[in-house]
Amino acid sequence: MNDAAGAALQTAVEPYNEAVVRKFTIAAVFWAVVAFAVGVYIASELAWPALNFGLPWLNFGRLRPVHTSAAIFAFGGSALLGTSMYVVQRTCKARLFGGDALADFIFWGYQFFIVMAALSYVMGFSKSREYAEPEWHIDLWLALVWVLYAVVFVGTLLKRREPHIYVANWFYLAFILTIAVLHIGNNLGVPVSAYGAKSYSLFSGAQDALIQWWYGHNAVGFFLTAGFLGMMYYFIPKAANRPIYSYRLSVVHFWSLIFLYIWAGPHHLHWTALPDWAQTLGMVFSIMLWMPSWGGMINGLMTLSGAWDKLRTDPGLRFSVTAVGFYGMSTFEGPVMSIRTVNALSHYTDWTIGHVHSGALGWVAFISFGAIYYLVPVLWRRNGLYSVRLCAWHYWISTLGIVLYIVSMWVAGIMEGLMWRAYDANGFLQYSFVESVVAVHPFFVIRMLGGLLFLTGALLMAYNLIMTVRSPRTAPAPERLSAGMVAVAAGG
Amino acid sequence: MRIETSDVVIGVMVVMLGLLGLTAAAHAHDDEMYVFGLALAGFAGAFVIGQIRRHYDRAEAARRALRAEGTAP
Repeated sequence: MNDAAGAALQTAVEPYNEAVVRKFTIAAVFWAVVAFAVGVYIASELAWPALNFGLPWLNFGRLRPVHTSAAIFAFGGSALLGTSMYVVQRTCKARLFGGDALADFIFWGYQFFIVMAALSYVMGFSKSREYAEPEWHIDLWLALVWVLYAVVFVGTLLKRREPHIYVANWFYLAFILTIAVLHIGNNLGVPVSAYGAKSYSLFSGAQDALIQWWYGHNAVGFFLTAGFLGMMYYFIPKAANRPIYSYRLSVVHFWSLIFLYIWAGPHHLHWTALPDWAQTLGMVFSIMLWMPSWGGMINGLMTLSGAWDKLRTDPGLRFSVTAVGFYGMSTFEGPVMSIRTVNALSHYTDWTIGHVHSGALGWVAFISFGAIYYLVPVLWRRNGLYSVRLCAWHYWISTLGIVLYIVSMWVAGIMEGLMWRAYDANGFLQYSFVESVVAVHPFFVIRMLGGLLFLTGALLMAYNLIMTVRSPRTAPAPERLSAGMVAVAAGG
Repeated sequence: MRIETSDVVIGVMVVMLGLLGLTAAAHAHDDEMYVFGLALAGFAGAFVIGQIRRHYDRAEAARRALRAEGTAP
């Protein structure tokens, strides 16, 4: 190709690779609806077990990992990969490292992982490790995609045209690197055959459990927290048009969170064969996590200083700020539940499910919704959303859904814990397990209704975003270099 | 029209993965590996076709940009 054509080609593309960000944004919205729909279905199965119709692929045990993987990896992961690629390009003033083909491979490779994982669960294949259910060959595929994603992100940081690395990138980088280590470490195993799906874990007994929850809790800490904090540190200041309240606090937040989180996993194994000292270690580090978590929450909320009025007019920003509130609440509740005596009541009950969903729906989903509502008009060059009112409806319907969900699970969980530990005068258990299941049935129905409201909100969002994209282009296209300038810059 | 180095590297890598998928499907001991292997081969084929399509899309966009600037050969 001659220089003139090469330069012209450059003018035809955007200064940043926004195509891959657009794809991840669409995927995030699609998988959000799928994840919430499957969640509502399995919540209905818990309330009315006959809904599995006796079909193995509709069994709760198979659909549950479909729901969790769709929510965490498909919806949350697509939102994280997309926003990280957007943020790193904008804050580094550099196009993604590695070319468009590599970015495309990461997008399609990640979607392939999601579909293959979901398909394997429905077919009855699972490693039975929570949040790490895919069999070894799917794990290998994800490791390949993830390492290439890390190469793109770090490569873009290295070729940045800004001297400073903005704090959001630090959080995204911690998320990318730590998840790589966790994923590879936890999934080390020996396949039965190179051509068979089953494998044996490299670890056994209590060590295997500890490795699993070192992974499991840090999937929460680095996938569902650090990554989304990166999102918070970029999109809240952008949407509010205000600088971060305290950049110094954000750096303290980063290092303290990263140091403390990695030790907290053993609190998932209280009252088990895990040595007491390890349980205590997990508990103490979980309690210490209060400080960085609340420091980050305060930083996020106080960024609104001088711009609180925008919450009345910008429901997208309202999502982000409410998410920070939920982040503070669930990072308060988590350490409380990690205290061994509290855990004696809460463990194995639906209180845990309520806690997880206050974080997953209130923090992860809401901060993602805020970022998506900000991104879609920017990426598709629209002045604003198709309907701000629909966005507000989404906000209130979803908030009501979360409240129904977590309150019903708190009540159900504490009731279960109390019933399971109740003794009669003769020292026998006062209630059978089935009696506790019957007692929580109304709360299972309320939980399903809460999930239904959340799904309804997501459908409103999908409609609103589709109409935003289909509305006429209203914002100017991004600035492009002329053919001559590109040729000069390229030394042509 | 120049072909980017990353296009070639990624294209070759995906073709190799597709072949690996076919091998896995051919020797599969269970349904999961059979489905995964075939799906991987299908993914590779679709991805490479997509790469070819994007290559010509970019070439067409370049020609359009040249015409718009009045520098078309």
